[in-house]
Amino acid sequence: MAVEVGTEKLGERQPRRRVSRPSLTAPGLLGLPIAWLAVFFLVPIGIVAAYSVDVLSFGSETHGFTLAAWHDFVHSGIYLRLFWKSVKMSLIVSVVIVVLAYPLAYYLALSGTKRKYVLLLLLIAPFLTSYLLRVLAWTVLLGDEGPINSFLSWTGLRPHDHPLTLIDTRFAVMLVLGYIWLPFVALPIFVSLESLDRRLLEAATDLGASRFTAFRRVTLPLSLPGVMAAFLFVFIPTIGEFVTPSLVGGTSGYMYGNQIVDLFQTGFPDWETGSVLAIFLLAVVVLLTLVFSRFLQPRQVSAS
Amino acid sequence: MDVALSRYGAWALRAFFVLVVVFLYAPIVILLVFSFNNANIPAFPLSGFTFHWYHQFLTNSDLKSSLKTSAIVAALSSTGAVLLGILSAIALVRHRFRGTGPVAALLLSPLVIPYVVFGLALLLLFHTAGIPRSIFTVVIGHIVITLPYTILVLMPRLQQIDVSLEEAAYDLGASRLRTFRSVTLPLLLPAVVSAYLIAFTTSFDEYAVASFTVGTQPTFPIYLYSAIRFPSNLPQVIAVAVVVISVSLVVVIAAEVGRRVAERRLGAVES
Repeated sequence: MAVEVGTEKLGERQPRRRVSRPSLTAPGLLGLPIAWLAVFFLVPIGIVAAYSVDVLSFGSETHGFTLAAWHDFVHSGIYLRLFWKSVKMSLIVSVVIVVLAYPLAYYLALSGTKRKYVLLLLLIAPFLTSYLLRVLAWTVLLGDEGPINSFLSWTGLRPHDHPLTLIDTRFAVMLVLGYIWLPFVALPIFVSLESLDRRLLEAATDLGASRFTAFRRVTLPLSLPGVMAAFLFVFIPTIGEFVTPSLVGGTSGYMYGNQIVDLFQTGFPDWETGSVLAIFLLAVVVLLTLVFSRFLQPRQVSAS
Repeated sequence: MDVALSRYGAWALRAFFVLVVVFLYAPIVILLVFSFNNANIPAFPLSGFTFHWYHQFLTNSDLKSSLKTSAIVAALSSTGAVLLGILSAIALVRHRFRGTGPVAALLLSPLVIPYVVFGLALLLLFHTAGIPRSIFTVVIGHIVITLPYTILVLMPRLQQIDVSLEEAAYDLGASRLRTFRSVTLPLLLPAVVSAYLIAFTTSFDEYAVASFTVGTQPTFPIYLYSAIRFPSNLPQVIAVAVVVISVSLVVVIAAEVGRRVAERRLGAVES
């Protein structure tokens, strides 16, 4: 190293940005992170793919390459229907909370409040606490004899023997998923509204546009990338969700992710079918990510 | 006239904001109330004040050992993730090389993989390779999923640090390592700390991947998940939840405030 620095000093005119010129050390720096991801991220996914076509199997003997499990997956329809149900659930959740989060982000970014970062932190802080415990809070709240139902019967708003059926429903799953992701969704929308040039709105107003027209023609279109990113940040992870439905969903809130877990962790494991389901889910998620990659720039999150 | 909001509009949005914040914090407050409630089930009407549930979980050895396991897992995996994150961030920010795009995409790709898929993929890897599951298999998975977060925290900060400071160090004869240790790292430190905290809390709370990779020693989320299946455990689980959520809220807010203060100071030094 010292020698290298010495010879560089002897060189005639040194380029201004020396450390950012093409360098042999980039592969050296990246070697470890890439090797880690190759061995513990890419290879495992490859193994799942191998299981899905029976090149590897749970017992020691395999029957060699076969698409039988894929064939069953496509033709039986059970799993695809369940997948569609999960997609619909996470679509509803994502759309509803993006619609709810937009005014929050708008208020923080454009109302001119002095404490916008404090309020933003207040909004986002719950997202940064334990995911599992927030789901757990709702399993307590929604129970047949939990705080909500006992409060209703205590105050006489609801007869004691007819509690509201809250837990173990599809609605419970969507409510809790919405609760969990809502603070996070506000973030990318806030970032896109925050970077909006207010002079554009002033110009629109000067040209006779009402506030609503200015919003519809200027603010909304300019914030759409943030809205899109927010939507995808929720939609993509919730399709494969299994923790929330397993805690508050019961049988009617059962999602595709639960099916995958059950194929691996129950007494009658079917790793081959489970791998097919997993690869299918992964393929859908990767496809969504690639198609919408221009909305998923890291800066949308990290800018805050 | 305000171009973005009318007076009534601002008032309505503020009311809506307050409503949402109440919705977000109400479950936590309700848990807080019931953690002191002297009854075996969390139900109204309240029936007296007690510290019993806190006392019970403080003396619950299974719970304590799961907390310890999670602390070890989180400490190891966040250290690993931050080290790999620093290497990656320096390579991506300070070096131009062919294939930056695909490399960055690979490094960030654990952000989008469904955890259920990643968890079972690791399970199959360890099964195929004949590696018994232990806390180390949990650590391996957690390093993968927290690495992108550390990179996302470190990169923007690294971009702000003026390259000429590093160049000055080279010109004064410092080696790359020496330059990193004496110049880059101190300037990067606030981001390193927040990257570490994010990785630590993510790992500490992670259930989905851990449920596939955990061995005989349950981590805290794994313990909680199995504990809430038994109604008799509910009150003390509520007490634990209150403690963990409150502590992490305080840590999150303190970390954010600390980061802003530190960056403002360092910003003053740099300019």
